[in-house]
Amino acid sequence: MNWLRAISLAALVLLLIPIIVLLYYGLGPFRNPAGYSVTVLRSIELSLFSSAVAVVVDIMLFTPLAYYLARGSDRLAESLVDIPVSVPHPIIGVALLILDSPISPTGKFLIGLGINFYNTLLGLVIALVIMSAPIYVKSMQPYFESRDASSEDFAMGLGASRLRTLVSVVLPDSYDGLASASLISMSRALSEFGSISIIAYYVLQYPFYGVSSASITIWEFFSGNMAGGLQAAVTASAAMILVALPIALAGHYVRRKREKT
Amino acid sequence: MIEASVKRKLGTFALSADINDGGFICLAGRNGSGKTCFMKAICGQLPIDEGFVRLGGVDVTRLPVERKGIVMVTPGSSIPHLRVDPHLRWGAKLRGATLDEGRVSRVKEELGIDFTGRVRTLSLGMRERVSLATALLTSPKVILVDEAFSNLHEREAFVSTYRRLASESGIDVVFSTQDESEGRFADHLYVVAEGRTQKRA
Repeated sequence: MNWLRAISLAALVLLLIPIIVLLYYGLGPFRNPAGYSVTVLRSIELSLFSSAVAVVVDIMLFTPLAYYLARGSDRLAESLVDIPVSVPHPIIGVALLILDSPISPTGKFLIGLGINFYNTLLGLVIALVIMSAPIYVKSMQPYFESRDASSEDFAMGLGASRLRTLVSVVLPDSYDGLASASLISMSRALSEFGSISIIAYYVLQYPFYGVSSASITIWEFFSGNMAGGLQAAVTASAAMILVALPIALAGHYVRRKREKT
Repeated sequence: MIEASVKRKLGTFALSADINDGGFICLAGRNGSGKTCFMKAICGQLPIDEGFVRLGGVDVTRLPVERKGIVMVTPGSSIPHLRVDPHLRWGAKLRGATLDEGRVSRVKEELGIDFTGRVRTLSLGMRERVSLATALLTSPKVILVDEAFSNLHEREAFVSTYRRLASESGIDVVFSTQDESEGRFADHLYVVAEGRTQKRA
């Protein structure tokens, strides 16, 4: 009897019970058509779209940071990266609200430019970027650290700056790392609830006018704001899991494959 | 002409090494003697506690790695996703220098680069030829070769060709080896032991 294995599998089952419960009840006894109505499908669409955009922003803005942390020794920056995900998430939503509200100078400025976070796609994406970027950085940084640095040292000796080395030497050789970090941070963005429930409870913009993200739609069912109740909430949850799970699994699969080679 | 005098403490290991020569220079010493550390300290990959590096009388100690004009080549030195020809021209392109095509084909021919393809698909020996040729064609002031001559076929012929090509372009070369007798390939021989250098020839 391998006790370590037994304890580990038991712990894993404990973690997965909520998912199994939702899939079982959502697709079985509690199945309710409201849970896969057009409203829910539109929500999932919005979640997928906004999370994908957030990940594109993560890649463009935060890949340099991940590389900087991997090749530098800036311990302070490294510990600061995690802060947004270590505070209660709604607080980030509140912060974004203040930043873009007429009561603050930044808000006056942004509103003057016609930039609005509240219930807009922009606000939704910014919240998702803040909540998923730390995961992205923490996935890319060890990837960069595990790379043999010889090609980078060589490139710099030949005259390339650090940034040039990142763009021309490291990234063309890092598609697997980028793919897995993107998928993992996308699943993080898909699961976000707290911050977006404050800053973008629903979006009031074309092509998602009146649509809420999937996590919020599920909450709407559960809290009784939307007809369907618990059964619809559970069915919608199961639908969301079926969409999100492959993305998360693909991310981890790419990473495992990379670690083996 | 390369003048370097560097000190660096790494745990219990203390590097305190000097070099003061030009041409083709051999750095011989056993594993762990400090050859690689010394080379990294010269090219700036390893920050030094005190000392200086001067090339042709110009102090480059405080310049960033990419602006010192020193290329270090190790067996892992290559840019894997590039094809052979763009790889050879990469350093020159970075410096905005125009490469004489005649020189490129001569270096290729003399160093036995008669193959193509992505560098990552080549054998170790082929990759080393490409990296060493890339270093030459980048025209730095100094090339540091850390054990990168070790995996080559017809090594002696290669090293003497490399020596000639480097000297024609006015590039000083420092190469490391575990075998002191390889000093015969060089204009000068330094032996490294326990982080210290001693000039022998």
